[in-house]
Amino acid sequence: MSENEEAFIQIREISKHFGDVIAVNKVDLDIKKGELFSILGASGSGKTTLLRMMAGLEIPTEGKIFIDGIDMTNVPPYKRPVNIMFQSYALFPHMNVFDNIAYGLKKDGEARDVINDRVHKMLDLVKLSDYGQRKPNQLSGGQSQRVALARSLIKEPKVLLLDEPLAALDKKLRQSTQFELMDIQEELGVTFVIVTHDQEEAMTLSDRIAVMEEGEFVQIGTPNSIYEHPNSKFVADFIGNINMFDAKILKNTDQEFTIDCKALGGEITIQSPDQAINSTELSVALRPEKVIIDKQQPSDEDHYYVKGVVEDFGYFGNLSIFRVRTASGEVIQVSKQNRMRIEDSITWEDEVYLSWAQESLILLDN
Amino acid sequence: MSGLLINVDNSFRERLWKNLIIAIPYFWLLLFFLAPFLIVLKISLADPIIAQPPYTPLFQDSDDGSISIYTTFDNYLFLFQDSLYLVTYLSSVKLAFISTVLALLIGYPIAYGIARSPQPTRNILLLLVVIPFWISFLLRVYAWMGILKTKGLLNGFLLWTGIIDQPLELLYTDTAVYIGMIYSYLPFMILPLYANLEKLDIRLLEAASDLGAKRWEVFKDVTLPLSIPGIIAGCCLMFIPAIGEYVIPTLLGGADTLMIGRVLFDEFFLNRDWPVASAVAIVLVLLLVLPIVYFQKRQNQELLSES
Repeated sequence: MSENEEAFIQIREISKHFGDVIAVNKVDLDIKKGELFSILGASGSGKTTLLRMMAGLEIPTEGKIFIDGIDMTNVPPYKRPVNIMFQSYALFPHMNVFDNIAYGLKKDGEARDVINDRVHKMLDLVKLSDYGQRKPNQLSGGQSQRVALARSLIKEPKVLLLDEPLAALDKKLRQSTQFELMDIQEELGVTFVIVTHDQEEAMTLSDRIAVMEEGEFVQIGTPNSIYEHPNSKFVADFIGNINMFDAKILKNTDQEFTIDCKALGGEITIQSPDQAINSTELSVALRPEKVIIDKQQPSDEDHYYVKGVVEDFGYFGNLSIFRVRTASGEVIQVSKQNRMRIEDSITWEDEVYLSWAQESLILLDN
Repeated sequence: MSGLLINVDNSFRERLWKNLIIAIPYFWLLLFFLAPFLIVLKISLADPIIAQPPYTPLFQDSDDGSISIYTTFDNYLFLFQDSLYLVTYLSSVKLAFISTVLALLIGYPIAYGIARSPQPTRNILLLLVVIPFWISFLLRVYAWMGILKTKGLLNGFLLWTGIIDQPLELLYTDTAVYIGMIYSYLPFMILPLYANLEKLDIRLLEAASDLGAKRWEVFKDVTLPLSIPGIIAGCCLMFIPAIGEYVIPTLLGGADTLMIGRVLFDEFFLNRDWPVASAVAIVLVLLLVLPIVYFQKRQNQELLSES
């Protein structure tokens, strides 16, 4: 975010306690206008509570929420320029699709023909034009999800909050719906705040992600920066697959680190890491797709390499995943794109060389 | 082949068991509901005579030795000719209806409050609703006599506080009957309403609020329409026994409190006119059953059209 641009949603030192349980602990967050922002965390991390505080369904124990510069902390939900789409969709079972979507406009006292017009436009947008008269129990999961989306968008909220929007859909539908969501967001220019436990969903959908754990943000950044530059072992482990090894610092200058990592073949020299390392013991992380696996000994001198034996191997069509046991006894996971249609590839018990670029290593403080 | 045979055998046994289990309640209803009903229906179609039993038999021997069936609709015609019965039916419906509406107005907030209270409190409150059943119904009605009489508890209290300076005439009036009815049947109203409101998804209320509904609008648009099945169940459970109620109007009501239960009792035990008493009972059953059948049919149609 550029410095001079005022954030659209400003959350300041917000906390929520339920009895002795601290669900959200002094969180600060800035979300800019039109952004697609995800809050990613395991269940119980406090992400839904944070979302509900933005919607006004939960009153913060302390702290403030500003939306578009106005203090919304104690404003009741029906007066906020915010709408929420619930995980369970919460469609009114006694109203048909049309009335469900029209509900928000009716509460605003809009004229009948205005309501008609806007609901029909919205039904077109979510591709449910012929379903206006159906009851919610006559809809499939995907259709219910789109009705819920339409209902929460009909009042043209400044912010749309989505609680696990795709969790109830099957995998194929989830992928297509992801792109639909992104299209709709782009078309309407609404700020989306999505809560999810699914890191894949967060990665594909969002402009930025906040990773949440035990009521606090661990890291906030673009999907790319969170994946490639995790700031902690928790984030590195939570997002995607990763190999993690213990290491010791041997030499530490401003420019370079020399570390000793048994699993990766001993002494490695590496440029200064993203984060400060305070202890001499640390972890080295390496993503499986950053490792090159080959039966031939690599000649490229920039690459470090270790030798190992393929212990396990899974073929997924587009890629293969290997678990290689190195001489030091550690297991390194490697994924390899199957770019060629070769039959005779690496398989069980093969002796292989694993190599990687020095920049691929991530140093993480213990 | 043999495997197939065993399968057939198993499914046959399964069906036999199912039928057997279903047969028990059917048999129960047949024996203790349908059979007595048919007997009463038979008596209602007979003429009263001075004999033991005091009505003409259904099958009569003719002079030529054949058996003929004797029925008469005189009793039913009599019910419609004498305006007393019509007035009493209407008065019973009115009493039961007003009590039911008042019980709904009192019971709904109670049921709602219980359903919204935290779990441990909820169980205690539910227990409190049910606890009066541990004392005999008759005793509780007698207790109300003690409370409502001229020098009773209520008048004593009101005189003591100075709200009134003359004791209120409560006992042996319709007001006392209403109080007794509402008190006695309130749990039957609260329990089905509670069962319904407890299931209500809080998310729906939050969604309505999020879409711009104020608190009372959330209630009007979501809670109330979704609790209609509970309202219908509670009202049926209260209205049906209330309309034929005998004890409460007899003990708490005045001479002019007309209720069909009392008329029925009088016809049976004072006039010893079993056929007319039976006809009164049959008309009452029809009065209750026909609307229920109609409701059920409509509900089934709705279910069919939805699926």
